[in-house]
Amino acid sequence: MVTNQNPGVRPGLGESPDGLKSQEMLLNLGPQHPSTHGVLRLVMTLEGETVVNCTPVIGYLHRGIEKILENRTVMAGIRYLDNCDYLSPMLNEAAYAGAVEQLMGIEPPRRAQYIRLLTCELQRIASHLVGIGTYLLDLGASTPVLWAFRDREGILSLFEALGGSRFNVNYMRVGGVLHDFPKGWLDECSAFLDQLEKNMAEMEGLITGNEIFEARTQGVGYIDQQQAIAYGLTGPMLRASGVNWDLRVNRPYGSYREVPVNVVVRQEGDCFARYKVRIDEIYESIRLCRVAIDKMPGGAICTRTPIALRPPRGETYFAIESSKGELGIYFISDGSEYPWRAKVRGPSFVNLQILPELLRGHKMSDVIAIMGSTDIVLGEVDR
Amino acid sequence: MHSMLLLGDLGSFFNGLANGIISWQFLQFVVAFLSFFGFVLTSATILVLAERKVIAWMQDRIGPYHTGPGGSLQSVADVVKLLLKEDIHAGNTDKGLFLFAPAVFLAPVIAAFAVLPFSPYIGLPGSALATGIVYLVAMSSLDVVGVVMAGWASNNKYSLIGGLRSAAQMISYELPLVLALIGVIMLTSVLDPHGSGVGTISVKGVMGFQMSTLYPGKGIPFWDFIFEGFTPWSWFFLVQPLMLIIYYTCGLAETNRPPFDLPEAESELVAGYLTEYSGMRWAMFFLGEYGNMTIVSAIATMLFLGGWSGPGVAFLTGLNSLGWGFLGNMLALGYFVAKVYGLCFVFIWVRATLPRLRSDQLMQYAWLILIPTTLINILVTGALYLILNAFGFSNLIFLIVLGVINWIMLYFFIRIVGRATVATTRRAQAPAMRARQRAIALELPGRSAAPQLPEPTSTNADIVASAQ
Repeated sequence: MVTNQNPGVRPGLGESPDGLKSQEMLLNLGPQHPSTHGVLRLVMTLEGETVVNCTPVIGYLHRGIEKILENRTVMAGIRYLDNCDYLSPMLNEAAYAGAVEQLMGIEPPRRAQYIRLLTCELQRIASHLVGIGTYLLDLGASTPVLWAFRDREGILSLFEALGGSRFNVNYMRVGGVLHDFPKGWLDECSAFLDQLEKNMAEMEGLITGNEIFEARTQGVGYIDQQQAIAYGLTGPMLRASGVNWDLRVNRPYGSYREVPVNVVVRQEGDCFARYKVRIDEIYESIRLCRVAIDKMPGGAICTRTPIALRPPRGETYFAIESSKGELGIYFISDGSEYPWRAKVRGPSFVNLQILPELLRGHKMSDVIAIMGSTDIVLGEVDR
Repeated sequence: MHSMLLLGDLGSFFNGLANGIISWQFLQFVVAFLSFFGFVLTSATILVLAERKVIAWMQDRIGPYHTGPGGSLQSVADVVKLLLKEDIHAGNTDKGLFLFAPAVFLAPVIAAFAVLPFSPYIGLPGSALATGIVYLVAMSSLDVVGVVMAGWASNNKYSLIGGLRSAAQMISYELPLVLALIGVIMLTSVLDPHGSGVGTISVKGVMGFQMSTLYPGKGIPFWDFIFEGFTPWSWFFLVQPLMLIIYYTCGLAETNRPPFDLPEAESELVAGYLTEYSGMRWAMFFLGEYGNMTIVSAIATMLFLGGWSGPGVAFLTGLNSLGWGFLGNMLALGYFVAKVYGLCFVFIWVRATLPRLRSDQLMQYAWLILIPTTLINILVTGALYLILNAFGFSNLIFLIVLGVINWIMLYFFIRIVGRATVATTRRAQAPAMRARQRAIALELPGRSAAPQLPEPTSTNADIVASAQ
């Protein structure tokens, strides 16, 4: 089974050697489509079955989150970050809270930082489970997505017990977190992690060695190392192309300054490598959760801050390693309780920009495989 | 004079016709026909529900469970809904072809059951057809016509592409399907007791060759009851397992089942040939697909798994009494249906497990892997027989040796296909990588150096050191 990418293809009316002109066809992979992972619209120019050019059209999920943030106090505004990358709300909130803490010079208590690490790693597992499950669903296997969602239910129940809501938890605060663990939560979390490891082994047994899956993802959608850096990719897309860059290690924040992370890097750069990076990151996150449970310090869970928080005049950029890549908040404050500007650097927005380059020369059937492997979330792209 | 003679002829003609219709034979035929029709369609609706329940069980959920006890009436509800649905006709379609295509797709499936004997005495008169296997293959080939008609008549360029792609897939997999069956038919020419060396292609005949007269405890009634006619060691799946696997895989592709369901996939870009059909017409396509599943399983059962043979069947029907014979026939029917549904369960199991093959991979698999394998198998079977016969070995030795060789071939088939897949994709990656690197080098003339990452402010070593 060979890869059938033709990377030398360039846009323009094709002319075959005997002078026959072929016409290009415009195909709209519309905003409503089962495999665009949200409301992404791809306007593709096809020559026969080969993609010659592709223009992503975004904005179908734009809700004006950054503008709304300018009219909310910081504490009221944290909940809007849940809707950005709606598959990893805890990570988004941690970024926003961290940006304001960085501007104000507040250091959350150690217990709060470990709680943040634990919840953020659990959220990363949940996000990767969705990414892997839906990727397999696009490729035609209907079972892994249901197993992945069953495991994700465990995480969501834990979040419900912790923060009151399964999904958009509104749990992080400037200075720490909102609630402490309920009685028995840590034991439940450990039991869940043990069960998750068994379930992950079962799911990997179904997918990773599967020849059909390998034939559809290996050699498809290759991203060169230099190209990945040039396009500003971050997260699993960058690490699958051989670049060892993880913000938790290279620009550590919070408890990551005390807990080392084994960065998962693969050299192949194709869709299979990206899938494998996400699977291995799940295992790594399980390990980090166990470390956090072991080393959980006692103490306060939040620094006392006034409800109407007034950050000092100034601006700051704070980035965390989200499940999709580098999630950064550029926060400008004018001294009042409302932010002047809160810009969200969504990793999916930047990762999306390589799509035209990546899809060029591939056949139509590979488009689905490549798009699923980029694991973009439109909430982060459009905000 | 002439007119009166004509009238008389006409009268006697009608008289004869009426005598023919009101006769036991015709009644038998009608009952048999209706029951087969009913069996096929009921089996298809049961399979729809069974698929949803079995896949749900494999995916850790329940499946339909509101309609009827445990969801058993879900198929009834589905059929009623589809019958009551509005029959949408797209404009500008080729009306005749559009309306006729579902029937063309469904009819060969039902017709194929005519040559399948369900038990020693239950079967349409067609089950005595001497060219049964050729008839079955012909019926499965007719399905392609229905698909192409549906794709063309929909007046939708995506449907056309999807229909043609599906037709190409079905035609490509016909060849290894037939070649796999030839391996089995070659065995019948060897086992022919009359020594004419021609063998048989009738379904009953091939099934009969799987019932040998060698079994332990011959003469003792208890063992006679169990083993007479039921000799699983002489079933052809032991002698040619690779052909069963290949036949089954081709059956998957013929019926557009996963992992070969690219024409029906909803997450792929090109819409399939089914797009413009709604309501009962769509249901006919799906009944045809599930009926096709049943046919493939039934043929595999007949040719590889001994058909309706099971403990007690031949003994009971050999007793020559009405009551015991009836019981024997019911037993045979039960065994047959159990085996067919067992193979359908494997169809459903494969659907829950495997992702989809890309269309070019599908074609490569058929032409570059399956056809050479089946041809090699035919060669090996024939050569082995000639060699062993020349040395004067008996048929039993030939079957055992062939079985051993075939199981070894099966093992290597699985290993080699897996390795070949991985090797070709990895090796094929290299030119794409080189081409991309060249493209980058050509496209970025202004850059003096490749883009660099920012300097990391810490590494794991620093983190570990600071945590001490």
